[in-house]
Amino acid sequence: MDASVTRGDDLVTITDLTREFSSGGGFMKPRRTMRAVNNVSLNVPRGKVTGVVGESGCGKSTLARLVLRLLEATEGTVVFDGKDLAKQSQGEMRKLRRRMQMVFQDPYSAIDPRYTIRRALLEPFQVQGEAKTAADAKTTVDELISMVGLSPRMMASFPHQLSGGQKQRVGIARALALRPSFLVLDEPTASLDVSIQAQIIDLLETLKAELGLTYLFISHDLSLVRYFCDRVVVMYLGRVMEILPGAQARPRHHYAHALLESNFEPDPTRRKVVTMLGGEIPSPFATIPGCAFAARCSAASDLCKRERPPLADLGSGHMIACHNPMD
Amino acid sequence: MTAFAPIRTAIGSPRGGASAAVLVLVVTCALFAPLIAPYAYDIQNLPSANTQPGAAHWMGTDEFGRDLMSRIIYGARTSLTVAVTAISISVAAGLTLGAMAGYFGGWFDRAVTAVVDLTWSFPEILIALILIAIIGPGLESTMVAISIAYLAQFTRLTRAQIMALKNETYVEATTNLGAGHFHIIFRHLLPNALTPVIVAGMLATGDAIILEATLGFFGLGAQPPTPSWGAMMSSGTAQIFIAPWIIIFPGLAIAITVISINLFGDALIEALDIRNRLRSV
Amino acid sequence: MTLLSVQSISVSIGTLCPLESITFDIGKGEILGLVGESGSGKSLTAMCVMGLLPRIGGTVTKGSIVFDGRELIGLPEIELRRLRGKRIALISQNPMTSLDPIIRIGNQVDQVSILHLGLSAEAARARSLDLIAQLRIPEPAAIHRAYPHQLSGGMKQRIVIAMALAADPDLIVADEPTTALDVTIQAQIIQIMVELVRDRGLALMLITHDMGVVAQACDRVVVLYAGRVAEMNVIGEIFAQPKHPYTRELIRCIPRLGQERGSLKGIPGAVPSIVDYPDGCRFNPRCGDAQELCRNQVPALERKSSGLAACHFSEV
Repeated sequence: MDASVTRGDDLVTITDLTREFSSGGGFMKPRRTMRAVNNVSLNVPRGKVTGVVGESGCGKSTLARLVLRLLEATEGTVVFDGKDLAKQSQGEMRKLRRRMQMVFQDPYSAIDPRYTIRRALLEPFQVQGEAKTAADAKTTVDELISMVGLSPRMMASFPHQLSGGQKQRVGIARALALRPSFLVLDEPTASLDVSIQAQIIDLLETLKAELGLTYLFISHDLSLVRYFCDRVVVMYLGRVMEILPGAQARPRHHYAHALLESNFEPDPTRRKVVTMLGGEIPSPFATIPGCAFAARCSAASDLCKRERPPLADLGSGHMIACHNPMD
Repeated sequence: MTAFAPIRTAIGSPRGGASAAVLVLVVTCALFAPLIAPYAYDIQNLPSANTQPGAAHWMGTDEFGRDLMSRIIYGARTSLTVAVTAISISVAAGLTLGAMAGYFGGWFDRAVTAVVDLTWSFPEILIALILIAIIGPGLESTMVAISIAYLAQFTRLTRAQIMALKNETYVEATTNLGAGHFHIIFRHLLPNALTPVIVAGMLATGDAIILEATLGFFGLGAQPPTPSWGAMMSSGTAQIFIAPWIIIFPGLAIAITVISINLFGDALIEALDIRNRLRSV
Repeated sequence: MTLLSVQSISVSIGTLCPLESITFDIGKGEILGLVGESGSGKSLTAMCVMGLLPRIGGTVTKGSIVFDGRELIGLPEIELRRLRGKRIALISQNPMTSLDPIIRIGNQVDQVSILHLGLSAEAARARSLDLIAQLRIPEPAAIHRAYPHQLSGGMKQRIVIAMALAADPDLIVADEPTTALDVTIQAQIIQIMVELVRDRGLALMLITHDMGVVAQACDRVVVLYAGRVAEMNVIGEIFAQPKHPYTRELIRCIPRLGQERGSLKGIPGAVPSIVDYPDGCRFNPRCGDAQELCRNQVPALERKSSGLAACHFSEV
């Protein structure tokens, strides 16, 4: 990725974004608060694929929903193409949704089981108040369905008659129906077999090139993210640990490094000796004053446990939140 | 995947088929009572009071000499009208309240849940009696009382369905397309929540027939001379040793109707494969 | 030396036939990978080896399973039960299916050695603590006292491994043992499991869909596709020179470090449904090299230059 990307080239700018969830607080239960997304700032450059990678509980799915304002932020702002989402009225938000869409992790429940594929693909126009004549509707649906590589014969089918991969294609077609410019892909291949996962990634690549889309790609799979994305954001316990400017950039954060080392290559000549991470993953309800990874990090100093490292620029867009980065 | 397929499957099973046949008979009696009944239900004929069942009166006559079979056929009309109307109102109101409470949550949900839990902890008959004590006896009051007595059940069931369904990915996906609450509730949540509520409503209709009969037995339901199975049994108690058929035949009518409804409801639950969803309340 | 030998096993469940002519063997001290996508029958194969098929209404219609010189097919349930846990241990994907939520972790691990090795309570406890420590769980004594819900998913899975090891089995069947876990935890558990199995000279049947895990851990690999064996070979050959087009394509589906964008294509089509298997080779509708022969005739699993493969056209 070129280092000359400036703010004006960003389709989405996220600043100091925080989202808290509370649990308990009922009868005889103390109220506990967790920060699923904790003071996250990042930008999504136009026409690029920004990957967000992390393990369960790192807040990547919450981040995806905050970016589309499917959840309200506790603090911080999301600016989409110059518009602060939190300041949009309901009507304005509805119009904006035509331009920002999402593909969901679970294709099995992403379509109403009572809807035919045809009805599911026409729904986006219906909710946006665009009535279609019968002939118009047919061309639209035919176009959408062939765009994602499915046969128009499937239009009368119900979701349960389709395979997982086909359902995910319908999910993508539905997201693209309103011609958005920005897609959030929330683990779109996590519940699919590898042979189908590769198909879907290939399709997403083609669509991006054809339609000039911008992607925010959420995944737990670092090798997939490094293959598919122009930049990689590594998250841990709600915080950004490192932003790698390109897929080939070597991680310098200890957590990002551990994540990479945990990723087994499909090559028996390159077996790895896994370094054991000490410590336990802290509870999401715990308040951690310092670095979130300090408890498991071999290079952690007193400073790491005391003070949260800021996200600092190492040059050419490589950002890292670490007091003692690796060489 | 048409809506009638499960009904066809249910009728195809032995108990479903038999119970459906009985129900068709009962409904036909109710709809075409004037054409089917051999006598008018309210013509008294005191000389032939307490006649045993025989060729002229298949089920005998009551203490006023009225033909019992005609009264039972007309009574089907009363029972079914009251039960079906009351449960329909109850289901409609339960769906609305449950959907609103389950979808929006917050103080409205807490208020609805509190009231529902309170009424849930009393037997339906007690609630109905209290309500009739307030609004006075009669056919309309019985309907109102029964519909309120069962409201808690449908509200709870709907609320539980909606709470589970609103976390489905397709709801989030549709919201993200820009859909409003109205669209989400009426196009996605309610259609998916409807089936178990309808089946529960069908089963409750059986209970409502018994409740109507009970209220009628106490003289709180349909007022004379309108025939009601419960009221007929009640008047039969005085004649139980002289003319036992007066109490036996209405009793059988109630039992057969209610058993058929329950059997058909069971067959429908099997066919729809929703036993778990009904139990999830 | 062969410990477990599975010969042309076919399984039916009702009218369906989810496994057909499954053949493979595991030697003592060997780690065998059983790979395949959903619907390939890999979990069913594990159940077959464990003698658990009757629990899901399945029966073995033909073939034989010989474990340490003993035929398992037709063995009465009581004998099978003696083998399970004692000589063949199972590690399942979800640790909670193996752990009782209301019994302390330690007691559950102790129970295995008391039951199968006839140890006294104290000896069993000492052994459990030792095992827990070997799985690199910090503070074994505290964990011994804990209840399952107090542990993270990764910790629970380690305890399940400790339980599997506690009876000193000869064979461990691990069905997707790390699929539900995060990658950093997965890497550690695979590492520990492989070390312990190697140290003790145990045989491990590792069932997974993850070619990365296979490459990291296994000595030999059986590739399953739609209820049949596609290929069986030593690990190096599987990755360097796959003999079955499915194996080749499956490996190509995983992005490698530094792989060029746009070069990941996937395998066209989808795994066929069990009610709708194609004639001939079951991979033929998705195979780029399929010929008329592949559509008509089921390829036999035959010896190639190395290993076995079921393909009409791979080199001999």
